[in-house]
Amino acid sequence: MKILVLEDDNAIGSYIADGLREEGHSVDLIADGADGLVQATVGSYDAMVVDRMLPGLDGMSVVKTLRATKNLTPVLFLTSLGGVDDRIEGLLAGGDDYLVKPFSFGELSARIMAISRRPRTEAEPTILKAADLEMDLLHRRVTRGGQTLDLLPREFALLEHLLRRKGRVQTRTMLMEAVWDIHYDPLTNVVDTHISRLRGKIDKPYETELIETVRGSGYRINDV
Amino acid sequence: MTPVFGFNQIRSTPLRLTFLLLTIFALAALACLAVAFEVTRTSIDAAVAAELQQTINEYRGIRDGDDLTERLAEAAAKTDADVRILFYVPDRGSVVSNVASFPPVSGVTVVSDSYIRAKSGSVSDSYLALSARVGAGHLIVAQSREQVEEMGEIFLAVLLIGLLPALLIAGLAGLWVARGARIKIDAIQHTLLELKGGTLSARIEGVEDQNDDLSGIGQEVNRMARAQEALVASIRQVSSDIAHDLKTPIQRVAVVLDQVMNKTTLTEGQEELLSKAIGETERIVQTFQSLLQLAQIEGGAVRDRLHSVDLAEISRDIVDFLEVEAEERGFALSLRIQPDVATCVRGDRHLLSQLIGNLVQNALTHVPQGGPVVVGVTRTGGETILTVSDNGPGIPESERSKVLQRLYRLDQSRTTEGNGLGLSLVSAISDLHGARLTLEDNKPGLTVRIAFPATEPA
Repeated sequence: MKILVLEDDNAIGSYIADGLREEGHSVDLIADGADGLVQATVGSYDAMVVDRMLPGLDGMSVVKTLRATKNLTPVLFLTSLGGVDDRIEGLLAGGDDYLVKPFSFGELSARIMAISRRPRTEAEPTILKAADLEMDLLHRRVTRGGQTLDLLPREFALLEHLLRRKGRVQTRTMLMEAVWDIHYDPLTNVVDTHISRLRGKIDKPYETELIETVRGSGYRINDV
Repeated sequence: MTPVFGFNQIRSTPLRLTFLLLTIFALAALACLAVAFEVTRTSIDAAVAAELQQTINEYRGIRDGDDLTERLAEAAAKTDADVRILFYVPDRGSVVSNVASFPPVSGVTVVSDSYIRAKSGSVSDSYLALSARVGAGHLIVAQSREQVEEMGEIFLAVLLIGLLPALLIAGLAGLWVARGARIKIDAIQHTLLELKGGTLSARIEGVEDQNDDLSGIGQEVNRMARAQEALVASIRQVSSDIAHDLKTPIQRVAVVLDQVMNKTTLTEGQEELLSKAIGETERIVQTFQSLLQLAQIEGGAVRDRLHSVDLAEISRDIVDFLEVEAEERGFALSLRIQPDVATCVRGDRHLLSQLIGNLVQNALTHVPQGGPVVVGVTRTGGETILTVSDNGPGIPESERSKVLQRLYRLDQSRTTEGNGLGLSLVSAISDLHGARLTLEDNKPGLTVRIAFPATEPA
């Protein structure tokens, strides 16, 4: 993927750029807002990471201008420690997601992947599969190797979310927001507990583990 | 604006002053009239008494007994009992009188008509009577007090024609003056409420170019509000500056720690120490985040974003999320939602789920022995009530107001996790929603009760 990073802090900028390059992406790093806007308009990027406070032109204005010219490149906003309002303002300006500093690289990477592959408007599948696991969305039934598994509604929702994003890392925060609509930091590892319960039902009794823990990031279901 | 003279306005100071002045004025006028009436009545009675005495003296002048009786009988026949009564009781012989009976009196006495029996015709309502020994018998001469009663009626007329209209006019004028004061006081009160609610730009209108005392107070309030607004703005600027200045160093530390963790080979001991450092960095971030969020919520800017949300649904989601954690730690987290009642409140979904989550996690942290934790949603008298109850040690009565302050922690909880901002956030979120937060005894344990105001129809 081709990614544009607008970040004025050297250390953080190169941390993001280096990390993304290591993952195999092509990255342009720019520190000035006005320069960034020009680059975003002329280059064709798959995703952008934009700091809200930039010299030249602030990040919000950069994205607003882009959106005004019908440029729909997915944008992940970065912001300083903030509160409830920042998130909404960022999304209103046309950002696709929002990350508060400091963040872990895993979180950043997972969120870029999530916004750059927005669900296409193709026919909704009624059956989700991973290896020998099958989820029937119509009858709300899950089987593995032909054996029916008894899942609680929240376990079903969690598994469905992971299956729909098969092969992509989902961080704890992303899971919390998507499955439970919870947008604050509960300061505990509740998501891990939910995952371990789900594993107890769909992975433990079988030879191959479907839910993989991605160190420093979150979880992913693989097709093995 | 509310009606200026509703029933509940009786407590307002200008109205109370008006009523007090009117009452004093009325009482003083009544007292003057009463004294004047009493003085006049006494002098009339004295004149009548003198006249009676003179009449008796005239009859005493007649020496001959038969002549006396004859003269009395003649006078009695001629005198109208309605005006004057003659009642002579001789030691021997029959009573000579123009009435059938009259009670015995001594000295000057007021006698009412209920004691008198008329011969024919009528008698007056009351008489002033004087009795004396005349010849060989007792003579009572009584004069009608109609004059006094007529005077009473005149006084009453004076009262009705003079005093009542005066009171009415004074009352209306007083109310009009009070209304002016009331409108100003309402404006001051309204502005103070707005200021308290976080609208620091609120000002009292129409007081700046006037110089009465209430306008003076209004001008002072406006001056104070301007100063406060400037102060708050500068504090906000300072805290966002601090946050801005700290975010980069904290992010850099996090970046370095992350790089060391992921890009170098570490021994198990080093990795453990590094994990601790990363954990501590996260705690610093969380505390900053909470402080900034607290400032933002208390600033009240979020208020514009509130809309109708279902408290029961939010509770269900957060309980569903935290249930597994509670279970792992030896608690039974449950939900009690009153069936078939409206559970919607005007609020912010994210903040409300944080509020409930903080309360539940607070219980999980501060109840050492585990046990039941119940999240309840009920509706009483138009209010939607959220409760979170545990069976833990509770909070002593004396500490209850303090635990809602920033960074305050009970002594026994110094050693437990948390940054002391959880309940402050709960309190701030509750204030933002116009809800009432109370800490109650769950006997045993703590019940946090939050009453959300009735939602006005959309």
